[in-house]
Amino acid sequence: MDEYKSRRLDATLGALSDPTRRAILARLARRDARVTDLAAAFPISLNSTSKHIRALERAGLVRRTVHGREHVLSLDAAPLAEASAWIERYRTFWDERLAALDTYVTSRAPRPNKRRAR
Amino acid sequence: MNPIATVEPLVVRRRIAASAEAVFDAWLDPKALAVWMRPGAATRSTATVDARIGGRYEIVMHMPGGSVPHHGVYEAIERPRRLVFTWNSPHAGDHDSRVTVEFHSQAGATEVVITHEHLPDGDAVGKHRGGWTEVLARLDAFAGERIQAPSR
Repeated sequence: MDEYKSRRLDATLGALSDPTRRAILARLARRDARVTDLAAAFPISLNSTSKHIRALERAGLVRRTVHGREHVLSLDAAPLAEASAWIERYRTFWDERLAALDTYVTSRAPRPNKRRAR
Repeated sequence: MNPIATVEPLVVRRRIAASAEAVFDAWLDPKALAVWMRPGAATRSTATVDARIGGRYEIVMHMPGGSVPHHGVYEAIERPRRLVFTWNSPHAGDHDSRVTVEFHSQAGATEVVITHEHLPDGDAVGKHRGGWTEVLARLDAFAGERIQAPSR
């Protein structure tokens, strides 16, 4: 993974680590919203809502479109897919390591009623 | 598979026909690690282990294209039930993640469960796992329509 991608992954997972930001994403998953809609929907100040939105924008999870005076926010799920790809690569890695561990351990200490690992 | 649904700690398990002690010990023995911590493409692996809490390990996987160092620190060593260590790899973005390995004794075998959590922000992700899973479940419908599976 190159450095840019890894920093983006950090930003994605960091952004997801906050419950308010996850709630904002869940809200945007239903439909696009204005900043003021989101501020009204959560028991936090407009200023605080804006901070969370900026963090989500930095992580690439939220896009902002300006229509006149209205700022409309929408969800961009692509960075989540990248985080997911990281996990899938490691799933393969650990599956293969466990198979090798199995071979290593069972070849050293064979058991009479050896059962097949799945 | 929906890619969104998997953005949570990774869990991999395997039933191995050996005692929990034998399987556990293979995680802390550098000679054993050099054998089984060797991905298919690696010509060889070398390992050093300081098997105590706070002690450091290093596993270098020698690939045709160069060596890939992995390192981390042991956070829990509870033979033969549980092992927790941080995991840092250039392939995982050069930041610490955490690997928990549990060894469950079964009749004549041991079920090994690996949980790999990505912790870029201290314990934040782990602490909020419930909420995280929840939001990702809610994102499911959305994701199915709007994003494609990750390219490898």
